Amino acid sequence: MLTEVHVPEDVSAAVRLVASGATALGGGTSLMPRLNDYASPPTELVSLRRTGLAGVRRAGSTVTIGAATTLSQVEHDARLDVLNPVVRSIASVPVRNLATVGGNLFARQPYGDLAVAFVALNAVATLVDENGTSEMPVEDLVAADRRSVLVTAVAFELPGPGTFKYVKAARRRYNSASVVTVAATITESDRIVTGARVALGGVGARVIRAHAVEDALVGGQLTDSTVQAAGQAGLSELSPADDAYASAWYRTRVFPVHLRRALLGR
Amino acid sequence: MSIKIVNLKVNGVERAFMARPETTLLLALREQLGLTGAKRGCAQGACGSCTVLLDGVPVVSCLVPAVTIDGTDIGTVEGLADGRELSDVQQAFLDGFATQCGFCTPGMIMSAEALLSRNPDPTTAEVNEAISGNVCRCTGYEPIVSAILDAARRRRLGTRVDATAGEEVTR
Repeated sequence: MLTEVHVPEDVSAAVRLVASGATALGGGTSLMPRLNDYASPPTELVSLRRTGLAGVRRAGSTVTIGAATTLSQVEHDARLDVLNPVVRSIASVPVRNLATVGGNLFARQPYGDLAVAFVALNAVATLVDENGTSEMPVEDLVAADRRSVLVTAVAFELPGPGTFKYVKAARRRYNSASVVTVAATITESDRIVTGARVALGGVGARVIRAHAVEDALVGGQLTDSTVQAAGQAGLSELSPADDAYASAWYRTRVFPVHLRRALLGR
Repeated sequence: MSIKIVNLKVNGVERAFMARPETTLLLALREQLGLTGAKRGCAQGACGSCTVLLDGVPVVSCLVPAVTIDGTDIGTVEGLADGRELSDVQQAFLDGFATQCGFCTPGMIMSAEALLSRNPDPTTAEVNEAISGNVCRCTGYEPIVSAILDAARRRRLGTRVDATAGEEVTR
């Protein structure tokens, strides 16, 4: 159960509370379902609602999103069109009006599709703890549990037109957890793939950076045969689980299909 | 554990209540403010039966600790009718038999109100997305979607259907 909910007015107060063992609360859409059962361990929360961490800044091609920005604010921000299909694939309107960008980095798979996109976009998180401010690639941040640190922002370079690809397969079109999520940034020159960052959700306990898929794509053209080969190469990187949404067998079976749909659009 | 006084403007009226850390907005509305329109369904944010407007946008009130939203503006289904005259969305639900058991209805209506305030002429697909967080286990989605489209039409035309006379009356 909840023993205390702090609502600090600035980031430094929030950092002190997190350092002393309290848990940062974004929109509550991951934490509160677990705390609403009155049987959870005693928990102290620090709400970020009043810390001034919401908002989007753009400088040139770099976009910085405050950690307390809601998924709905991302959805309706024209500067973040690239993320629109990502956030609209997550949960539902009344959840996206609460859920935050920072909080999504701490959602465990098969949730946390925005984190999958951020890994593909090579996004960097700004972290604050009692020792000061630092930066960490989202890819590294989501690779382990981070208890005593506060994420204040996520920044990334806007990808070139058409280079960011995203497909989420779920049981329903809206409001369903991931069966397989594919996010990729693909750059080409003369139709040859010169760079690929591919991130996967729903097929492991954490976001997976699919290095084998990337290696299979770079240097070739995006054709049915190369994408099929990349899908086969990627199978070794999956560690899916059975859950209420899909079996591990099913996730593995359909992963190459959704990789193809993401990369080739068909 | 501390108990804090929370001030909210609920349906246009200033209200104050004492909240424990685990008091959610939903619990406060139902147990302390006597507004039982919003329902406790799953308490997980999955069913949407507790949907209310927080500063004008729909949220699942079961996931909001009340102490975090001191000073905000809350809209619930109780605030929609004008005396005995239902809002256009409520009337469209009634006329279109879009309620069935009624448990999801307050949440559906608040999601619909939020959609129509932002988008007065939604497509069926936009209605579907807007109510994707509101689960109806009577599986009555088609009349619900039709009622929301009907409410949008009524609002655009500036008309309402008189429930007793059964004919359209211009406001």
